[in-house]
Amino acid sequence: MKFLTRINRNYLILFALIMAGVTVTGYLILHVIIMREAKETLLTKEYLIEKQIRDTGEIPNLHPIIAVEKTDDNELIKPSFREVVIRNELENENEIFLEYSNKIKINDSYYLIKLRQSAFENEDLVLILALTLFTLLASAFIISFFVTKRMNKTVWADFEHNLHEIESFSLSKNNNITLLESDTEEFSRLNKVIGNLTEKLKSDYLIQKEFTENASHEIQTPLSIALLNLEEILQQDLKEETFQKAATVISALKRLSALNQSLILLSKIENKQFEADRSVSLKAIVTRKLDEFSVLLETKALEVKVQIEQDFQIRLNEQLAELLINNLLSNAINHNIRGGKIVILMYNRSLRICNTGEDNSLTNETIFNRFVSGNPKSYGLGLAIVRKICETHDLEINYYKDEMHCFVLKYKS
Amino acid sequence: MKILIIEDEIELLIAISNFLTKENFICELAENYRKADEKLSIYEYDVVLLDITLPDGNGLLLLQTIKKQQKRAGVIIISAKNSLDDKISGLDLGADDYLTKPFHLSELNSRIKALLRRKKFDGSDIIAFNEMSINTESKTVSIKGKELALTKKEYELLLFFLINKNRVLTKEAIAEHLWEDNIDVADSFDFIYTHLNNIRRKIKQAGGTDYIKTIYGMGYKFSQ
Repeated sequence: MKFLTRINRNYLILFALIMAGVTVTGYLILHVIIMREAKETLLTKEYLIEKQIRDTGEIPNLHPIIAVEKTDDNELIKPSFREVVIRNELENENEIFLEYSNKIKINDSYYLIKLRQSAFENEDLVLILALTLFTLLASAFIISFFVTKRMNKTVWADFEHNLHEIESFSLSKNNNITLLESDTEEFSRLNKVIGNLTEKLKSDYLIQKEFTENASHEIQTPLSIALLNLEEILQQDLKEETFQKAATVISALKRLSALNQSLILLSKIENKQFEADRSVSLKAIVTRKLDEFSVLLETKALEVKVQIEQDFQIRLNEQLAELLINNLLSNAINHNIRGGKIVILMYNRSLRICNTGEDNSLTNETIFNRFVSGNPKSYGLGLAIVRKICETHDLEINYYKDEMHCFVLKYKS
Repeated sequence: MKILIIEDEIELLIAISNFLTKENFICELAENYRKADEKLSIYEYDVVLLDITLPDGNGLLLLQTIKKQQKRAGVIIISAKNSLDDKISGLDLGADDYLTKPFHLSELNSRIKALLRRKKFDGSDIIAFNEMSINTESKTVSIKGKELALTKKEYELLLFFLINKNRVLTKEAIAEHLWEDNIDVADSFDFIYTHLNNIRRKIKQAGGTDYIKTIYGMGYKFSQ
């Protein structure tokens, strides 16, 4: 969810809760206040009526709101309020009234006083007041909601732009991040931190890149000198033993050189020096590699079954994609048995390569480790390179063993 | 044919020039940028072998000079950097080929000869040896005028042998020539054996002589 959407959503929820709370509390408070006012009005009326009777002896009566009668019963009652239902003859319906009743003594006579006020009017007043309160609050909230929303958009616009910049930043493309200056202190601090971090990243990346290239150069050069001279020695008329020794040294040096290349390659992949600029078709690569390996397959009398349901397109540097398939297929050939089988199954989002082979104790956890190999002739780096490629490109490679040794390549879920 | 070898490692320079001299090339040597620049401004070359990491200058700059001053010359970059960027910018700047150290002299030989053929310096597309003749234009091999049905790899292998005749080739050199970087296939030597057997069979069937000799089980040599 977007930051602003989140804030807006939270704002709306909070708004709804506050409105509900304020309206209910407001209603209750108003209710209490108005009831108290109504009671006070009735008490004032009582005082006025008592004064009138005392001064003039006139007994006022106004049905249904004032009912006073002289009584012989001289027992005083406690003044009390209650709600009564009285029939309104004009409108021919029952109405609820707040009734105040008291017995008072004026000039030795006792009067029973009943004063009433329509409760209905009181409730109406409460409702009108509560509604007004609600409407005013709601308008204030809605206006401030839209004003804040607009303000947020302008305030966060620079941030959005900068975020976009950072997203499109790539070390191997060697482009620069240009962040917009911001008046907001937090944003300008963030920009500064990001600026520093990318500078550091870039310099580390370059140092690492240069190191791998230099290391490669420094090691390959003496190896070249040794190999060229040894090859020239082989051209002389040598005894078998001498020839074999020289040839063995050549093999060992070539192996050293290949190891060096593979380790540099691993660190280059780790360092993300391969730009994934477009999608590549694994179907095309698998087909091409199988053609390239046809003689190898023939020599080992391997039966290859290829089932391609759909082309698996992956976003990967073409060289790395080649390497990935090359290493997986080499592995399936190298560790196969004479007359064995290779089964390749491709869907639009996965590739499975299974091969027959000797049993081994390797598991999904150990088989991709460096220098782990089930075969003394292999360097044990091919699958490590495969895993490194996957790790750096949101891909997943898994190994399992049933009747065959299987490798499954797919996008990380 | 005149070759300029630009390489800062003296031992490599000597080994390469000794080999190419034996292959009947006229070699001139330059061990740094300054010397190379000087030679390029005075003499004409057919091929320039260029190491792009030089102590006193960038080899890619020399490449631009060559392209300006020596329009005829073919350029092969030899570099210890197996770096794709260098490979691409080198080829973009007009280099004809790119060879990564360590390389086999037989491979270098094969690349130079291929370059000369592409540039038509040799004047002929036919490489002949006794009754055998290879047409590099149509990529066919014939024995006594009869064409052999070879696969692409078999053709490449036979051409590699013929270009490097009388020279002992290690299995590593052959495997690398045929499969380049994909040499991680550990059993590739068995596959060379399969290839060679197929070639030998086809040559014999066409009535030719098998000139490929096995040297102590560890190398091969194409010779009389």
